Amino acid sequence: MIRVDGVLVSRGEGGVYGERMLGDLRVWDPYRSKLAALYYLGKGIDLEPGMRVLYLGAAHGTTVSHVADYAEVVYAVEFAPRPVQDLLEVARRRSNVVPIMADAAQPEQYAPLLEPVDLIYQDVAQPDQAAIALRNCAFLRRGGTLVLMLKTRSVDVRREPVLVFSDAVSELGSAGLMVRDSTWLAPYHHDHAAIICAKERTTA
Amino acid sequence: MQSYWFGDMENGRCRPCSGNAADLADRLLSLHTSMDRFVPPDWTIARDCGFCRDRADYLAKLRDVCVVVAKRRIREKYRQKDTELLQMVRTLDELDTVINLLSGRVMEWYQIRQPSFSRKYRRTPARSLVRTIGQRSGGALGRVVGDVERLSETRTMLARDVSGRADAVMPNCSALIGGLVTARLLLHAGGLGPLARLPGSAIQVLGARTALFSHLRAGTPSPKHGIIFQHRRVHNAPRQVRGRVARVLAAQLAIAARVDFYRGAIAPEFIEQAQARIDAAGRVP
Repeated sequence: MIRVDGVLVSRGEGGVYGERMLGDLRVWDPYRSKLAALYYLGKGIDLEPGMRVLYLGAAHGTTVSHVADYAEVVYAVEFAPRPVQDLLEVARRRSNVVPIMADAAQPEQYAPLLEPVDLIYQDVAQPDQAAIALRNCAFLRRGGTLVLMLKTRSVDVRREPVLVFSDAVSELGSAGLMVRDSTWLAPYHHDHAAIICAKERTTA
Repeated sequence: MQSYWFGDMENGRCRPCSGNAADLADRLLSLHTSMDRFVPPDWTIARDCGFCRDRADYLAKLRDVCVVVAKRRIREKYRQKDTELLQMVRTLDELDTVINLLSGRVMEWYQIRQPSFSRKYRRTPARSLVRTIGQRSGGALGRVVGDVERLSETRTMLARDVSGRADAVMPNCSALIGGLVTARLLLHAGGLGPLARLPGSAIQVLGARTALFSHLRAGTPSPKHGIIFQHRRVHNAPRQVRGRVARVLAAQLAIAARVDFYRGAIAPEFIEQAQARIDAAGRVP
């Protein structure tokens, strides 16, 4: 990942959402983007130039645009029509963003479009986030990584975030994924946790 | 046979699709894929069967198809009759807020210019008070009053539009509680589809979120009504039967919303029965 004096940046055409520029580098704000926060916490897995990324919950495409600056191709899945309008605009200017308007909870809707990916990044506001991630793991190549941004408040507002978190971790673990690392995103984002899993080379 | 966006695979042989992005999108929307043991294809399959020249060509074609599909889906969503109505109701509610805020500000400002001015013991409604202030004041204050009046006119027109549109989109609900209250219910449910899937008990307390959650958390008394309180048969009902009226009305609304969503036309015999039930609930024993 590119850092300039400790500031996380990405190299690409600026002006996507009024982000600050350092020369021709786009500043990637950890308070706006959960993925950036993960890198500031020293936990994220590095995005490599050849990477194929499946991004679930692409929203307006701001974080997507940064991921696209690093990766080879980003399959950006988003369901709500208004964010997709913005996402299409981002995709128009970035040739390695593939905008997919579909429900991440129903991967059969977009399965015919995908190829095996190296990284699945999920940031969706749904109650069954771990289950959605597991359903999408069919697209993850063996040895690939899943980064799940768990919005504990979307799972259940009334439950303790810590309990929601441990449930999600055990759900992912018992489905055959290797939970490599996990962290809360404080102080950048509250009640959000990142869970980093690997799909093992040997398992189906 | 396994079908992908670029073609079909059968017994290791690949049949590529032809046509432009729109044709591919048509075909894509007709595909039914099972996730059971689904294996995503490598892009080289598409190249080897002659669908594309290289990686860049593959991605460019894929992107074109995805953009066509997304644009179509957006257009479909926006064509639904309730989508614009939602924006209209939100604008109406925001107009109310703005008009109230500005009227209050105008009066406070005028009090500084006219120390003898007071709102106490006045029969005149706030609106005509604002107009009088406008006639007596010049400069920016007079202009603000003019703007408030124009906004009020817009509000009146918009309210009529909302009511008319609600009558057209949700004829059964509107017949029971009127267009404006129907439109507000729609707003809180987030659309006609979601509203039609709500149970009567949820419709009864739509818009009473704070009271409902304090009931669930702290055990305070449960709310009797949310938005439907704005309907006259609920707020005019005697206190001891108000909860019952709200419950019966909400139950009938749940049916009405389903008729609106799935049939989309008025059902006179249902309306007649529903009205009778709601009226019966309002009678004090």
